[in-house]
Amino acid sequence: MTVRTVLRNEWRLLMADQALRIVLGLFAVLLVYALANGVVWLRFQERTVEAVESGNVERTSALQQELDAIANGGQPSSPFADPRSPLVLGGPGGSHTAVLEPGSLTALAVGQSDLLPYYYDVNIYTNESSFQQNGEVENPLNLMVGRFDLAFVVVYLLPLLVLALSFNVLSEEREQGTLALTLSQPVSARSVVTAKLAFRALLVVGMVLAMSLLGILVTGGLDSPGRVLLWCATVVTYSLFWFALAAWVNTLRRSSAWNATVLVGAWLVLVVVLPAAINIAAGVLHPLPSRIEMITAQRDASNDAVNRRSELLARYLEDHPEMAEGVVADEPGLGALAWAATDAVNRRLEQVTSEHDAQRAHQIILVRRYRFLSPALLAQDVLIDAAGTGDARFVHFQSQVRAFAEEWREFFVPAVLADEQMSASVLPNVPRFRLADERPGEAARRAAVPLTVLGGLVLLVGIGAGVGLRRVRGAG
Amino acid sequence: MIRHIVHKEFTDVLRDGRFRWCSILVGSLLLISLGHGWVQARNTQQEHAAAQATAREHWETQGEKNPHSAAHYGIYAFKPRLALSFVDEGVDPYTGTSVWLEAHRQNDFMLRPAQDATAAQRIGALTAAQVLQHLVPLLIILLTFGTLAGERERGTLRQLLATGIGRRELAGGKALGVSSALALLLVPAALVGAAALVVASPGPAASPLARGTALAGVYLAYFATFLALSLAVSAWARSARTALVVLLAVWVVNGLVAPRVAVDLSKWLHPTPSAFEFARTVESEMATGTGDISRPDRAASTEHLLAEYGVERVEDLPINAVGVYLQESEEFGNRIFDRNYGALWDTFERQGVVHETLAVAAPLLAVRTLSMGLAGTDVEQHRHFANAAETYRRDLMRQMNGDMTENSLTGDFTYTAGAELWEAVPPLQYAAPPLGWVLGNRVLSLLVLGAWLAGAILAAVARVRRAEVT
Repeated sequence: MTVRTVLRNEWRLLMADQALRIVLGLFAVLLVYALANGVVWLRFQERTVEAVESGNVERTSALQQELDAIANGGQPSSPFADPRSPLVLGGPGGSHTAVLEPGSLTALAVGQSDLLPYYYDVNIYTNESSFQQNGEVENPLNLMVGRFDLAFVVVYLLPLLVLALSFNVLSEEREQGTLALTLSQPVSARSVVTAKLAFRALLVVGMVLAMSLLGILVTGGLDSPGRVLLWCATVVTYSLFWFALAAWVNTLRRSSAWNATVLVGAWLVLVVVLPAAINIAAGVLHPLPSRIEMITAQRDASNDAVNRRSELLARYLEDHPEMAEGVVADEPGLGALAWAATDAVNRRLEQVTSEHDAQRAHQIILVRRYRFLSPALLAQDVLIDAAGTGDARFVHFQSQVRAFAEEWREFFVPAVLADEQMSASVLPNVPRFRLADERPGEAARRAAVPLTVLGGLVLLVGIGAGVGLRRVRGAG
Repeated sequence: MIRHIVHKEFTDVLRDGRFRWCSILVGSLLLISLGHGWVQARNTQQEHAAAQATAREHWETQGEKNPHSAAHYGIYAFKPRLALSFVDEGVDPYTGTSVWLEAHRQNDFMLRPAQDATAAQRIGALTAAQVLQHLVPLLIILLTFGTLAGERERGTLRQLLATGIGRRELAGGKALGVSSALALLLVPAALVGAAALVVASPGPAASPLARGTALAGVYLAYFATFLALSLAVSAWARSARTALVVLLAVWVVNGLVAPRVAVDLSKWLHPTPSAFEFARTVESEMATGTGDISRPDRAASTEHLLAEYGVERVEDLPINAVGVYLQESEEFGNRIFDRNYGALWDTFERQGVVHETLAVAAPLLAVRTLSMGLAGTDVEQHRHFANAAETYRRDLMRQMNGDMTENSLTGDFTYTAGAELWEAVPPLQYAAPPLGWVLGNRVLSLLVLGAWLAGAILAAVARVRRAEVT
C-alpha cells in the first residue's frame, strides 16, 4: 500500500460524500464572489486614479492658456484669481494631485484602501490638516463591517473548511475499526495521516491559490512577483497551521465529536474572540490620542498669527534665508505678510501633529505586538501588506506627499515673498509628483518576523502531531 | 412537572464546568466592554463638549471684523456622543467627529478615529454590542444543542415522555431552564447598564431610558430567537453532534458571512460616486448651476434692488447690495449642496436597506440595525446631526449677510462688527431625535426580527411535537 493508493482512495471517499461536495462547492462560490468584489473595487480605484491624473493635465493646460492670453494683453478671468500671482498659480487653483496607484494585489485584499486617502491635492497651503482629510466616499456602515474579499475568506472561512475536512482524519478510522486494518499494511500511521492531510491541503490551498492567481492574471498583478510570492506563502503557511492543528488534535486519541468541538473552539478563540479581545485590551491599555486638539490649536494659532504678521515675517526670513533670495522689498507686500501668518499656523500644526504622531506611533508599536497572540491577525496583517493595501504603504505614500509639498513651497514661496508675478514659462518647471513606490523587498522585510512566527507555529504543532502519530497503534 | 424540567436544566448548566466557564467568560467580557465603553463615551463626550465651548469662545472673541470675514472664519461643530453609545459605538469610528461651518460651502466631517487606528483594529473591539450580538448567541447554542438530541442519544427522552408530560411543556421547560441560567449573566449586565444610564450618564440623549428599554427588548427578542432555533434543531437532529454542527454553521453565516456579503451586495446595487467625482460635480455645478438651479446674476440682483428702492445709483441704496448678493449666492449654493449631499445620503440609506433586507437570512443584521439606531450611532443619526450642523451654518451665514446688508453701504469694505454681533448668534444646540423617529425608520428591521422570533418559536414547537423518541 503506497501513499498513492491512500491519495486515490481519499479522492474517491471525498467525492462520494455529498455533504463534503456541497461544502467544497459552496467554498468555490464564495471564492468567486470574493474575487469579483475585489476586482470591481480595483477597477473603481483605477478609474478614479485615471480621472485624477487627467485632472492634473487639464488644470495645467487651462493655466497655460490663461497665462498665454494674459501675456498677449488679455485680462485674468477674475481679479482674485490672477494666475500670475504665485499664491494663485501655486494655490488651490493650480494644485497638483499626488496619487498612489492601487496596490498590485488590491483585487485580492481591499485592506485599508477603502478607508485611507490615496490622493491628495497639493498646493502652497497644504499642511498637516490636509492629511486629515477623508478617503474615498464610502458608507460608514460598509467601512465598519469590512469587505467580502479573498483575504477575508482566507483568514476567517478557510480554517473552518480545513477543520471540516480534517477533524476526523484519524479518529474516524479508529471509530470505524479500519485503523488496525490500514496499519497492518507496510505503512506507518504517520505517512497515512500525512498523505490524507496532504491531499486535503492540495485541494483547499490549490483552490485558493488558483483563484488568487486568476485574480492576479486578470488584473495584471504579475508585475510584482515578490508580492505574489508573499501572498501565496502566507496562504500556504496559514492553511498549514490549521492542518497541523487538526492533525495534532487527532493524535490525542479522542472521539471525532471531541475533536470537532475542540477544533471549533480553537477557531473561535484564535479567529474571533482573541482579536476582538486584543483590541479592547489595546483600547484600555494604549488608548489612541484624539485629533480634536489639532482643530483648537489651528484656530488659536491663526487668531494669533493675524495680529503679528510683520513680526512673524521677520522671524520667517531669519529662519529661511534661502526662501527670500535676498529680494524682499523694504515694504513687504500683503502676500508676504499673509504667507508669514500661514507659515506660523503650519508650524504650530506640525508641532501638535508631531506630538500626536509620536504618541500614536508608540501606541501602535505596542498594539501591533499583540498580533502575535493570534495566527489570524498575523495572517491578515501580512496578506494585506503583501497586497499593497496595508497601513505601511499608505504611510510611505503620505511621507512622500509631505516631501513633495515642501518641494512645492520651495518653488512658489520665494516669489510670494518677493511679490513677483509668474508667467507661463515657469509651468514646465513646476514640481510634479513622482511616486517612488516601496521597493519589492520592503513588504517582504516587514513580513519576515510574522511569517517566521507563523511558520514556527506550524513547525511546533506539526512536530507535536508527528510525535503523537508515532505512538499510534492499530489496536486499542 | 415543568418546574422540575426548568430546575433540572438550570442545575445542569450550573454544574457543568464547561458551561460555567463559558458563561463566566462571556459575562466578564460583557461587563468589561460595558465599563470600557462607558469610560470611552464619557471621555469623548467631555472632550467634544470642551472643544465645542472653545470653538464658541473663538467665535465670540474673534475681534472686530467685517461680518463676511467672520463668515469665512466660521465655527467648528463637534458631534456629541450620545448616552447609549457606550453599549454600541456603531459607525462612530468611521464617521468624522467634527465639521467646519464656513461661508460658501458645506464641508465634510473630518477626523475619523478609524483612520488613526491600524488595520487589525478594524476587526472591531469587543463592545458590549459585539458581545451581545455574537458571543451570547454562541453561548445559547452551546447551552441548548444537547438538550433534546442529548436526551434522545442517552435514551432518557423516552423515560421523560413516559411521565406524561406534554411535549410543548417539555420544550417550554427546557427553554426556561436555559433562560434562567442566561439570566444570571444578563440581568446583572442590564442592571449595571441601566445604573450607568441613570446615575452617571456618559453623554446627552433624548429619552435614554425609553431607548435603553427598547434596546433590552430587541436583544431579548434576538436571544429568544436563538434559543428557539437551537431547541428546534436539537429536536430535529439525529445526534447532538449534528445539532452542534448545524447550529455553528447558522452562527457563522449569521455573524460572519452575511454581514460582509451585504456590504458588497449593497455596493453593487447602489454604487456611490468616487470622492473625486463627487467634489468635481459640486464644483462644476457651483460654477455654472444645473437644471433649474442657476447662479444668481450680480447685475440682475443690483438692478432689482435699484428698482425696489426707486434709486438710480448703487451708491444711493440704503443697504449693502453685496450683502444681498452674497446671501443669494448662499441660497444658490445650498440648493446645490442639498441636491448632491442629499443624493449621497439617500444612496447610503438605500445601501442600509440592503443590509436590513438580508436580515431575512441573518437576524444579526436586523438586531445590529436596531441596536445602532437605539444607541444613536447609526448612519441615519449621523445624517441627523450633519443636517442640524448644516442648518446652523445656513442660519449663521444669513445672520452675517443680513447684518452686512443692513448696517453698511454698497462698496464699503471698512465696515466692521464686533462681539455684540458674534454673541447674538445662538450657540449650536443639538437635540437627538426621539425614540419614535428611530423606530419609525426601522420598521423593516422590527418586522424581520419579529418574523424571526415567531418563526423560530413555531419551528421549535413543531419540531418538539414531531421529535422522534429514539
